[in-house]
Amino acid sequence: MQRFVLIAVPYTWLLALFLIPFVIVFKISLSDIALSIPPYTPTLEDGFGPFFSALDFENFVFLTTDDLYWKAYVSSLRIAVTSTAITLLVGYPIAYAMARAPEEWRATLMMLVILPFWTSFLIRVYAWMGILSQEGVLNQVLLWLGVIDAPLTILNTTTAVYIGIVYTYLPFMVLPIYAALDRLDGALIEAAEDLGCSRVQAFWLVTIPLSKNGIIAGSFLVFIPALGEFVIPSLLGGSGTLMIGKVLWEEFFNNRDWPVASAVAVILLLILIIPIILFQRNQQRQEEA
Amino acid sequence: MAETIFAPWDDPTEKPLIRFRNVTKRFGAFTAIDDLTLDIFEREFFALLGPSGCGKTTMMRMLAGFETPSEGTIELAGQDIAAVPPNKRAVNMMFQSYALFPHLSVYDNIAFGLRRDSLPRADIDARVGEMLKLTRLEKFARRKPHQISGGQRQRVALARSLAKAPKLLLLDEPLGALDAKLRQATQFELMDIQEKTGTTFVIVTHDQEEAMTVASRVAVMDEGRVMQVATPERIYEAPESVYVADFIGDVNIVPGTARAVGDGLFQLNWAEDTVPFIAASEGAFSEGQACHLAIRPEKIAISAERPPEAENAVHGKVLDIAYLGNLSTYHVELPGGQVIKAQTANTRRISRRSFTWEDPVWVSWTKTAGVLLDQ
Amino acid sequence: MKKLMLSCAALAFGASAALADEVRVYNWSDYIDEALLEKFEAETGIDLVYDVFDSNEVLETKLLAGGSGYDVVVPTGTFLARQIQAGVFQPLDRSKLPNIGNMWDVIEARTAQYDPENAYSINYMWGTTGIGVNVGKVQEILGADAPIASLGLIFDPGNMEKLAACGVHFLDAPTEMIPAALTYLGEDPDAKDAEALEKAEAALSAVRPHIQKFHSSEYINALANGDICVAFGWSGDILQARDRAAEAENGVEIAYNAPNEGALMWFDQMAIPADAPNPEAAHIFLNFIMDAQNMADASNYVYYANGNEASKEFLVEDVIGDTAIYPDEAALENLYTVTTWGPRDQRTLTRTWTRIKSGT
Repeated sequence: MQRFVLIAVPYTWLLALFLIPFVIVFKISLSDIALSIPPYTPTLEDGFGPFFSALDFENFVFLTTDDLYWKAYVSSLRIAVTSTAITLLVGYPIAYAMARAPEEWRATLMMLVILPFWTSFLIRVYAWMGILSQEGVLNQVLLWLGVIDAPLTILNTTTAVYIGIVYTYLPFMVLPIYAALDRLDGALIEAAEDLGCSRVQAFWLVTIPLSKNGIIAGSFLVFIPALGEFVIPSLLGGSGTLMIGKVLWEEFFNNRDWPVASAVAVILLLILIIPIILFQRNQQRQEEA
Repeated sequence: MAETIFAPWDDPTEKPLIRFRNVTKRFGAFTAIDDLTLDIFEREFFALLGPSGCGKTTMMRMLAGFETPSEGTIELAGQDIAAVPPNKRAVNMMFQSYALFPHLSVYDNIAFGLRRDSLPRADIDARVGEMLKLTRLEKFARRKPHQISGGQRQRVALARSLAKAPKLLLLDEPLGALDAKLRQATQFELMDIQEKTGTTFVIVTHDQEEAMTVASRVAVMDEGRVMQVATPERIYEAPESVYVADFIGDVNIVPGTARAVGDGLFQLNWAEDTVPFIAASEGAFSEGQACHLAIRPEKIAISAERPPEAENAVHGKVLDIAYLGNLSTYHVELPGGQVIKAQTANTRRISRRSFTWEDPVWVSWTKTAGVLLDQ
Repeated sequence: MKKLMLSCAALAFGASAALADEVRVYNWSDYIDEALLEKFEAETGIDLVYDVFDSNEVLETKLLAGGSGYDVVVPTGTFLARQIQAGVFQPLDRSKLPNIGNMWDVIEARTAQYDPENAYSINYMWGTTGIGVNVGKVQEILGADAPIASLGLIFDPGNMEKLAACGVHFLDAPTEMIPAALTYLGEDPDAKDAEALEKAEAALSAVRPHIQKFHSSEYINALANGDICVAFGWSGDILQARDRAAEAENGVEIAYNAPNEGALMWFDQMAIPADAPNPEAAHIFLNFIMDAQNMADASNYVYYANGNEASKEFLVEDVIGDTAIYPDEAALENLYTVTTWGPRDQRTLTRTWTRIKSGT
């Protein structure tokens, strides 16, 4: 009985918060646009027979007719992959420094990494607008230091989107890598050095492979939200920043075309599910091996 | 055996492999090693023995290159090694935790050091094969460390540290993680491997039995200083201090004052109105000098009657009996309240043993059974 | 966005917990004098929950999803028209709106094209879409005779290239920008055919590289702070920017002009959703807003003209006397209105707009 409850809790959670919403979205993606409340047809009020016979994949076919969609997917993937890579490059040294810091500092350092979460995400992104704008803090400081002669245009460019994503998701990268590095036995590094590795070799041959799971987990935690990111590109990005989250927004809000918007969302989910499944497989192999 | 006994430390022409010269190591205000001088010779199986915190691990880490001395020098084959980083030393270490690379197979763990020297593939393969054979791990070459037993892991760690044929192998509590039975078997295996490879071994341990079993010489350490360096026999039979005598095995320590009676013999006045004990000693004691008699329980006989020819005998009653299976230790309380431990082999079944609690008994020993110590 | 999030949170509570003596109003951001809200509560004893949005699309999506929980919403006329068709609103009960006589027939005549007979809505504010400039900077770049009242300022690539470094924002609203482009080209601003859209797209794409951002509210602060030089936006918003800059005394001087080639006239209409939890209170709120003094207070605060004739006598000179807000007869002639986009046209419009903005 107790076991049943233990299993039932996560599955109910999954059912209520993932499967049911997904089925609803998937159903809408098979529907047609209508000028009504809700703005699509059919609904269950039409009766079961007509309801199912009216569903079709027309909207998915439509997505292939306009290059906007795949360009947006590709552009989102590129931005997500690039920002994940940058986050990794920035986050790894931070996690490494945290794990090598004296024991008594670690709790504080961990707190500092988590601290930004105590402030609203939106406020933090707004703060970046203040930093990156033409008249913003960054430009003022650079001008004052004489590094630049004219203010840099960073806000409303893709660069600002990268900054926003890297900044926002950095803790998601740092924490799993830190957890992996923290578990790493210092004797392993000494053993590697003892067996003839230089410091750098020991890092590549021992530290990196042993923090691989942290790197993978952190990368997914950054990549997945970055791919569907909407708020950061709309606040920091310029008109040239094409991301699928924006397209989804336009389908929902500008075109009022919930069915096409749902089709876009279903495909986005599929794109996300593939790396997640690969990740799971990899984890399983790790455990079995 | 006809050949000469292995004792390079007694040969003044022999050059030591390792020389600690007035080495001091401080961590902040804490002195881990205090002005230590010590020689270790080639092909020795040298044990650093002491309680935790005595500085034995620090000494080993200085040999490996993970710590540098605050003062003094350490020489390896006549060369000061202070400036040589760990990866450039012909020294390998077997870690207490084994420190096997969990992401690499047994084969790759053993090959790890060889690959760093960019040896040809075939050479690496041959050397790893040799090591696998030496440690009887051929069947496990493809396994990952977490897929083999503790004893096998221990052997992988040993094979890995031996693979590069170091001049010196350091073993940090190599058997600490094994259970008692496996530990004994492995001790002999270690000695065997050490003999086969001719490598100099320095082992750190807190287990005196282990040190006694495997080592050619033992250094007993306390608070950053070496108390005594000698062969296991001498450490046991001829400790130079109460500390060493007490640290190694079970011992009775009887304090008193000395009085020379000639012929290398001394009287020990250990309590008033008692017959003094008599003991032989190589060292001399002045009249009335405070000293201790250290005597091992197994060297003390226990009997119902006073043995007529006994050189030392004292009457008491059985206070406690510790039954150890093959041995029993009797705690005999003397009239003055002192307790003497006497050990006898249990050659008979327990129901037939001679003495029980509260029995009046005599404990006796010869004049050469114990040693007189001045400190 | 922040405001959007806040209102979403409010919504989550609101839908289920609406009380009988509570009215929920969903209006544009920066669009009312907060003192009026307090006055309403004091006068009627009804609790007022006031949330804001900054795009018609957000409002519309909420309304179409149903159960928005709002009693009064303020869509723009073009959006209102198709929302009425979708059955989003309930007809107004005029017997509960004694102040409706205050309304201005000139405006009612125009709003009737979106809401026939004004059966579902009353006009809140109306205005024009035009050009806001940082006078000093624009004159510094283009000379003292810079065409700050002409669409040429923002559609002539030659001008825009020079202004780009200083910063130009356009509204992120194709239903505003396409008619402006068509007007610049001398076409019918209300044209919705593919050919017209192509021309408008070409005109907008030509200047797109020089546009820093398409956004429908950021330009208020950006103009006022001197972060940008030119914004094509809504009259009242730019006039608010002008006042903020003046208050800040930061040396920034903002001017608004309805383009002399012709300016889009728009109407924000107050209406009651069909599923409003408290239509009774909604009517009381509408009647309160239509009070001449109250409406005048609102206009005096936000610098938009309203559709309430009786309020004119309470308007301050700054508002009633400013032709940027209350155009004179001749200027009124120069204003045009546009009709609603049907679903098919809307998709083409959105797609065109995305292409213009992202170059894809």
